[in-house]
Amino acid sequence: MIVGPSGAGKTTLLRSIAGLEDLDRGSISLGGKRIDALPAHRRGCAVVFQEPRLLDHLDLLDNVAISLVAQRTPRKERRSRARELIEEVGLGEFAGGGVKGLSGGEQQRAALARALCAEPELLLLDEPLSAVDPNRRSSLMDLILQLQEDRGVTTVSVTHDRAEAAEMGQVIALLIAGTILQSDDPESMFRRPQTERTARFFGLNLIHGMVKDGHLAFEGSEIAVEGPDGEVTLSIRPEAVVIGDGGQVEMTAIEAVYLGTHVRVILKGEQSVLEAHVQAEVSPAVGSKVGVSLPEPQLWRIPAG
Amino acid sequence: MKQPAWRNAAMLAPAVTATVLLFGGALAGAVDQSFTPPLGGGLDSWSLDNWRSVFGDPVFGDALVFTLLTTAMATVLAALLALVIASLMRRGSSAARTAAAFPVPVPHMIVAVVAVLWLAPGGLADRVLGSLPINLVRDQAGLGIVLVYLFKETPFLVLLLLAVMGRRLDEQNEMAAVHGMGRWARLRWVIWPAVRVPLGIGSIIVTAFVFSAFEVPLAVGPNYPPTIGTYALEVTQTDAISGAGEAAAALLVGAAASIAFAVGILALASRQRRSDA
Repeated sequence: MIVGPSGAGKTTLLRSIAGLEDLDRGSISLGGKRIDALPAHRRGCAVVFQEPRLLDHLDLLDNVAISLVAQRTPRKERRSRARELIEEVGLGEFAGGGVKGLSGGEQQRAALARALCAEPELLLLDEPLSAVDPNRRSSLMDLILQLQEDRGVTTVSVTHDRAEAAEMGQVIALLIAGTILQSDDPESMFRRPQTERTARFFGLNLIHGMVKDGHLAFEGSEIAVEGPDGEVTLSIRPEAVVIGDGGQVEMTAIEAVYLGTHVRVILKGEQSVLEAHVQAEVSPAVGSKVGVSLPEPQLWRIPAG
Repeated sequence: MKQPAWRNAAMLAPAVTATVLLFGGALAGAVDQSFTPPLGGGLDSWSLDNWRSVFGDPVFGDALVFTLLTTAMATVLAALLALVIASLMRRGSSAARTAAAFPVPVPHMIVAVVAVLWLAPGGLADRVLGSLPINLVRDQAGLGIVLVYLFKETPFLVLLLLAVMGRRLDEQNEMAAVHGMGRWARLRWVIWPAVRVPLGIGSIIVTAFVFSAFEVPLAVGPNYPPTIGTYALEVTQTDAISGAGEAAAALLVGAAASIAFAVGILALASRQRRSDA
C-alpha cells in the first residue's frame, strides 16, 4: 500500500510501474524480470483506476473480458469467463446488459472484475474507492481484500487515506515528494514512526525537548524517557492522550469537534498544543482547563536524524 | 432522470419543423418541378419528359460519373486526412486547434477563387515556383476540385473528431493498454468506435454538399465533363423553357445519391455496433 498526500507522486509511481509513464532514471522489475523497457500491454500488470473507464459501446461481459479480446480468445469462451467474474463481484444480475445504467460503485466492481480477468502478475489499484459512494466503500473494500486473498495476486494500491491504507495494506509505504520515507506494517506506521514527517502524516502528536537524567520537561511536569539524554522528539497518538481529573499536567481545551465516532479536542498548554480523541461523554467544554496524562507505554521516541 | 418520450419529442419539434419545412419543402418543390411538363399544362398535368431528357443526355451520364468520382475522392481523402491530423493534434494547444479550424468559415467560392489565382497556369504558384508539375485548374481529372474541398472539408471533419478525442478517450486508451491491448487492438476496440460516429456523420454532410455544389467546379473544374451541379446550372441557362425541370431532375439524382450514401453509412454503423455487442 502506497500512501501519501496529494502531489506526493503516488499515481505517477503506479503509472510508471504500469508502463503509462516513462522513467527518468532507475528500473522496474517484476518477478525478477526487468519490465521498464516493455510497453504497457506486455508488462503483465492490470490497473483499476480511480474512474472505472468502461467502454460504452461494449456490453458488461465484453468490458470485463477486454483482456481476453486482446488475446483473441473465442467469443463464447471469453464471455463465459467474464460471466464467472461478474458473478464473483456481485453484478450477476447485470451480466446481460450494457454499462451505462450501472452506478459508480457497480462500475468500479466491473473494473475490478476486468482487471482480475487479465490474471495479472501484479494488480495495481489507483485510489479505487475514491469515486465510490461512502456507504458502498466498505463493501467494495471487503470485496477487494477477499478477491486478493482468494487469488493470491500481488497488489500495489495507492491512497491518500491513512485509515484505508491501514485497513487494506499488509505493508504500508509512505511516499512524500517522490521519496518513500518509511515502509512498515500498519501498526508500526501508526505507532512507531521513524521520522517526524511520518508521524505528522499519520496524525501523531509531537513533543520536542531536551532529556536530562532520563526525564523530559513538559508543561511544568516531567515525562520519563528511555534512552540517552539529549534532544528528543516524542510522539503519541491522539487516542492515547487521557483527559480527566488527576492528569499529569493542566491544559486548556481550545476546540472540541464532534466527528461521529469521537470528539477531537485541541489542548493548549504553556509551550505545546496536543490533539486528543475522546468519547463524547468525557469531552471537555471549550475554554475549560483539564487534566491531561500521556501514558508512558504509549509514548514513542522518534529516532534521531 | 430520464425524460419521457413525449417531452423529448416536444423539445425537438421546433428544429424538426424547421428542417421539414425548409428542406422537405425544397425537395417537394424540386420533385414537383421535375414532373412539370416542359411546355406547361394544367395544375393536374405531369410528365416524365424532364427525366427522359436528363437520362437521355450523354452529358448527364458523364457528369454523374465525374461527380461520383470527385465526391468519393474528396470525401475519402478528407476523412483520412482528418483522422491523421486529429490524431496528431489531439494533445495540441488551443491556438493550434483554432488555426486548424480557420478554413471552416471561409466561403467555398473564396477558396476556389484563391485556388485559381494561385494554381492556374501563369498564376502566383507558377511565378514563385517556376511551373507546377501538374495542372490543378481546369484539369480533366478534377484534382483542383478535390484539392479545394480537401482544404475546406478536412478542418470541418477534424473539428468533429477532436470533439470526441478528448481526455476520456486517452483514459480509455490507457485502460485498454494495461489490459493487454496493443496499438492495433486499441485502434479497433477503443479509438475507432469513438470516432466512427462523428466521422460517418461528417462524411455524409461532406458528400451531400460536394455532390450538388456548383461554385467550386465552376471555378476550378474542367470545361468537360461538368458536375451534376454545373450541369443543372448549364441547362437552366441554355434552355429557358425546360431547363428548370431538367435541372430539378438532375439535382434530385444527386440528392438520391447523397441519401443512398447516408443510408449506407448508417447501415454500416449499425452493423458494426451489432458486431461489437
